[in-house]
Amino acid sequence: MPLGDLVQYVVTGLLVGGVYALMSIGLALIFGVMKVVNFAQGDFMMLGMYLTYFLAVGYGVDPLLGALLTIPPFFVLGLLVHRTLLVRVTGGGNPQRLMDAQLILTLGLSLIITNATTMILTPMPRGIQTAYATQAFAVGPILMNQARSYAFLMALVLAGLVYVFLTRTDVGKALRAAADEPEAAGYQGIDVRAMHGLAFGVGIALVAAAGGLLATYHPIEPTVAVNFIVLMFVAVVLGGLGSIPGAFAGGLVIGLVQSLTLLVLPFQLQNAGVFIAFLLVLYLRPQGLFGQRLRAV
Amino acid sequence: MNAAGTDRGRGVRALAIALAVLLAAPTLLAPALAHAEDLKITLVAPLSGRWARQGQLKKMGAEMAIAEVEAQGGIKALGGGKIVLREADAGDSVEKAVSAAQRALSREKISAGIGSWLSSFTLGVTEVAERLQVPWFTLSYADSITERGFKYTFQSSPVSSLQADQALDLILDLAKRNNQQLKKAALVGDNTAAIVFFFKPLREKLLKAKGIDIVVDEVWTPPLADATAIVQKLRSSQPDIVFYGATNFPDSVQVLQKVKEFGLKTPFMGVGAWLVTPEYVKTVGKELLDNVMSVTAAHPLKGQEDLVKRFTQRTGEPFMTQDPLMSYAHVWIIKEAAELAKSTDPKAIRDAVARLDLRSGPAASTLIPGYIKYDDRGRRVGATPIIVQWQGGEPFTVVPAELATRKPVWHGGK
Repeated sequence: MPLGDLVQYVVTGLLVGGVYALMSIGLALIFGVMKVVNFAQGDFMMLGMYLTYFLAVGYGVDPLLGALLTIPPFFVLGLLVHRTLLVRVTGGGNPQRLMDAQLILTLGLSLIITNATTMILTPMPRGIQTAYATQAFAVGPILMNQARSYAFLMALVLAGLVYVFLTRTDVGKALRAAADEPEAAGYQGIDVRAMHGLAFGVGIALVAAAGGLLATYHPIEPTVAVNFIVLMFVAVVLGGLGSIPGAFAGGLVIGLVQSLTLLVLPFQLQNAGVFIAFLLVLYLRPQGLFGQRLRAV
Repeated sequence: MNAAGTDRGRGVRALAIALAVLLAAPTLLAPALAHAEDLKITLVAPLSGRWARQGQLKKMGAEMAIAEVEAQGGIKALGGGKIVLREADAGDSVEKAVSAAQRALSREKISAGIGSWLSSFTLGVTEVAERLQVPWFTLSYADSITERGFKYTFQSSPVSSLQADQALDLILDLAKRNNQQLKKAALVGDNTAAIVFFFKPLREKLLKAKGIDIVVDEVWTPPLADATAIVQKLRSSQPDIVFYGATNFPDSVQVLQKVKEFGLKTPFMGVGAWLVTPEYVKTVGKELLDNVMSVTAAHPLKGQEDLVKRFTQRTGEPFMTQDPLMSYAHVWIIKEAAELAKSTDPKAIRDAVARLDLRSGPAASTLIPGYIKYDDRGRRVGATPIIVQWQGGEPFTVVPAELATRKPVWHGGK
């Protein structure tokens, strides 16, 4: 294979992986802080895609800007969902029973969102026609799709902002403290419940923004989440459960593996490559790429 | 016997007759006063999941036919009975489709079924219908649907292998008329049953017989993560024609967007009505679509303008395609079969369909060749593929020429 083709595969993989990475950060944040596996994450992404679509079609808002505009309303939506539903299945109590309740709740939420959207907006696929979805930046023989390039850059910026927020601000530090040691954080005067709400709000806002970026080149339909939710979970586990940089790297790795798999395997086995890589990582490094090994005492 | 006794006797007789008439009246008047018997049919189609749009379109066609049957006085042989539609969601997997059919057919008496769009679903659903002995009508293309010796399956579309054969002849003829010679072909599509059966004869014999090399042969399992690698292969191998089968809308949009991005000018010949739905125009734009043709089992023909107008006015859809057309025809076929069978019994309707030879009426006039008859395998006699081409943001029938609404245009050339 010519070197140019190989570079093209790598570039394509990274660009695809950029949006996977942003999607996965939200999920990792929610799991990292609340220990909640949110099956409805993909559905909030789908809603983010629809909001971006309606902003673009109804008000002529460029979807790249629309993706950013989804952040405030989805942050509020996340807070509300936490306050009304998730707060009942998090916090104290039997951890096993809580986990069961969380799984049922988020799975139920996912089914309700998907089906309500199908009923209200019909299953008809919609798409935002943007010039950059069908144009590419040419770097020598390498073509970089413009929509994916913009989406990648914005994903990078948003992920960077989340990282700065978590490591450089007091609220971010409180959030991490609530994640690492909720009891001790409580003793320090940190409102753990509020931190959970914050994590859920930010997590939902991020995945909605990722949906907005995805909508610049991907059609929107009520069931679009199923194409991505498994990849999000793989990215989060691959990166080390709950690790934000890990989830970002996990998303990029999935994009790369999907693309590079095609060098050795037929198209039908594209996602098989992802899962083989996933199993290999779990076998060789069970704590994930960025996770910390737990020591038994 | 005195006069008074005679009078009393007459009175008693009159009373007895009146009583007898009153008692007999319900029986005598029964046929006239009885409620007409409704005919329940089911539509098992994807109403959720990635193929939900196709199910929605099928439903629109079926509902329109049901309304028209009712407006014409219902099924006369059943005393003006109406057709009642029970829809069931086939979802996005064979398992869900089979279970939906199972539920729909076992919950109440269903006289006939329609579905389930995707050949893979239909293969599963028709097994249920066969077991429960309910006649089943499908527009699915896969050859294997009617290769299993089933008695209750009626396939109204030309099968995939036939479509491949005829599509190739057409495209060769079209290229020749445009002074193009086809030497290299690409097969690009997913691994759903109809596409597999369309590609198989092309791959194994048809293209070779015409001296055409296959330069790209890429098949994927939906959904497609990214189309770059596929279109990159097309760009580097420069085929003269791409046979295209991406039944999942997002996959297809990704491929078409990439084709534009990479500046590929190769003509695309799709297989199936998924490629001619209105949402394509909104998502990828009409300019890009003008490069695209598709082989389908049905599409509005010359002379069907009134039918299309009724459909667009009723539904708000910009145009009519195979999916509503076929379910429209299927409802009318079931109606005619019920007239012939004079019964709602599914077995009687199945037997009526087997001997049906409709030469006129809405069912016959909707589908080429203008009559409805099924052979012993359940395949519609004379079913012929139609070639549809996007022109100016709308798909038009371009082949067969005598029923075409536009002339085909060759967009190829390098």
